[in-house]
Amino acid sequence: MSKSNGNILEIKDLCVRVGTEEVLNHIDLEIPDGEVHALLGQNGSGKTSLMMAIMGFSEYEVTHGTILFQGKDITESDVCERARLGIALAQQRPPTIRGVTLRDILAYFFRNEDNPEKKISGLAVSSRMESLLDRDINHGLSGGEIKRAELLQLLALSPIFSMLDEPDSGVDVEALSLMGELINRLFTFDPDHPVHRKAGLIITHCGSILRSFPIDKAYVMVNGQIGCSGNPTILMKHINNFGYDSCIRCMGAR
Amino acid sequence: MVLNDADREALTVTGVYLGSTVRSATIVVCDLAQVCLENNTRGFELMPISSALERYSWLREQYFFKALPADLDETVSRCAKEVDPLGFFLHVDKGVKIAFPVQAAMYMKNEDIVQIIHNVIILEEDSELQLITGCLAGHEIKTGTHIAIEEQYIGKNARLVSTMVHAWGSEQFVYPHTGTVVEEGGRFESNYVSLRPAKHFVSNPQSWLIGKGASAKYLTVVLASPGSVIETGGTVYLNAEDTSAELAHRGVCTGGVMNQGGLLVGVASCKAHVDCAGMLLFCGEGGYIESVPGLRSMHPDARMSHEASIGKIAPEQVQYLMSKGMEEREAISMLIRGFLGTDVEGLGAELDGQIAKIVEVAGHGED
Ligand SMILES: Nc1ncnc2c1ncn2[C@@H]1O[C@H](COP(=O)(O)OP(=O)(O)OP(=O)(O)O)[C@@H](O)[C@H]1O
Ligand SMILES: [Mg+2]
Repeated sequence: MSKSNGNILEIKDLCVRVGTEEVLNHIDLEIPDGEVHALLGQNGSGKTSLMMAIMGFSEYEVTHGTILFQGKDITESDVCERARLGIALAQQRPPTIRGVTLRDILAYFFRNEDNPEKKISGLAVSSRMESLLDRDINHGLSGGEIKRAELLQLLALSPIFSMLDEPDSGVDVEALSLMGELINRLFTFDPDHPVHRKAGLIITHCGSILRSFPIDKAYVMVNGQIGCSGNPTILMKHINNFGYDSCIRCMGAR
Repeated sequence: MVLNDADREALTVTGVYLGSTVRSATIVVCDLAQVCLENNTRGFELMPISSALERYSWLREQYFFKALPADLDETVSRCAKEVDPLGFFLHVDKGVKIAFPVQAAMYMKNEDIVQIIHNVIILEEDSELQLITGCLAGHEIKTGTHIAIEEQYIGKNARLVSTMVHAWGSEQFVYPHTGTVVEEGGRFESNYVSLRPAKHFVSNPQSWLIGKGASAKYLTVVLASPGSVIETGGTVYLNAEDTSAELAHRGVCTGGVMNQGGLLVGVASCKAHVDCAGMLLFCGEGGYIESVPGLRSMHPDARMSHEASIGKIAPEQVQYLMSKGMEEREAISMLIRGFLGTDVEGLGAELDGQIAKIVEVAGHGED
């Protein structure tokens, strides 16, 4: 812990390649314990790539730089090791897996519990996702259902660092309030002490998540790099008014 | 011959549990003799085929070598040569729905046995039966030949669910052949699982859906390991209107040869689909999977389709599960189990054991 400087995540000068393409260029990012940050940015700017690289997906090859989690260098750790350290990701586009159900995965999470079935149904009921339990993973699920199924798994895992890739995209108004509630639950240690939160990173385009879930800081990604950072509401407003072009110009001027 | 504890244990890998309270009846053939027959349930008869032939003259006249004519192929004609055949006769009375499964085991306890079996199963109108059949070689037995034919007659609105689990020795030859006739509104479901392959296995079950609304569904789950040649087919004749059939093959190849076939013949207006899926984990020397699902339509209103796919385990699926905290081998096991798509009751431990071996071969087994 001593080396972590109060930061749960520290990314230093990170470069990532997918296939032959450089998708992230010299990224620096620090997330202090207990803070949730947001990533904004145009389509294709590299937001998802950053999360996939933090999670350790081998397709996202780190060519330079380091990732520290709680002060520990995890740059070489595989995705399972990172998950077991308490990092989790709700993917924007998770794969479809025939023959494996959401229930199968939840049963794995709760394999050491006395009554896993009870845990599973309790969780599914409280998040109103019973109907998804026996569906094959993401097979034929609607966009909104995929978001909920991913979030349900994170709730079951109860990670200490959660990454949510566009939890609010393509989610209807009613479901959005449920998502907000579940995201709050995901980051809360103790409902009686809401200020004390778990850390994480959230990608959002529309920013509607900001209305139900307070975010400490936001970044704008431009072409695989991090541009401005600051107050999420101010940044969001600026982008809504002036578009990402202003960010690109600003980056170019640097 | 009496079955000892080791034999009883051996049978459990195929889902046959002697003395179980959740089975309606049991029959066991060991090598060349019938060794066990228990039936505590009313509404159906279970007896050796030889006794049934003596007792019922109609059996020979109407059913014996009728679904499968004696000259149909080599397997059937080999069985027809037996004067005093081994095997069983199972007859369920009209309207009787048997609560617990009937179980049968064809057990090859010793080396070099040539076991020849002929079973006849008749379900009268409106009856229902689940049948569990285990065909297996004893622990560490390598050689032998198993030739078995099974004739099944499913009456009007009757339903037969047949689960067959095979576990063979690596030098064995296994040639089963099943013929099933399904009448109006009747249904036949077949689940076949073999994760301990023989040296050569050929199976081409045939069914004839002869009455309006009759249906058949096959799921065949097999492993081809190095040195084995596994040929699984299945032919369904959809002879009456509104009939339907589904034929699904799931094969995992770790180095042997696997041929997946299947032919659907649409003679009348019907709905039918055949799906071959192969997971090729390792080719070894000359191993491969070949899938040839077939359709033959003889009626403009026959709606028929097929699909086939062969591939390895998708890395993005493995990593997805790993990102949820699974080790690589746990992720691969879950994917293989899901792919095989079978959850045969009482077979959990055996499946886990066999899947663990497959995971080793998948090249990810190192600790
Ligand atoms: N697996 C991949 N194969 C090829 N190119 C990829 C892959 N993953 C990402 N890329 C490329 O990297 C760039 C960044 O993609 P990324 O998914 O990180 O963008 P994003 O910011 O999440 O965009 P969006 O808002 O559309 O989700 C894009 O140009 C994309 O085409
Ligand atoms: Mg993205």
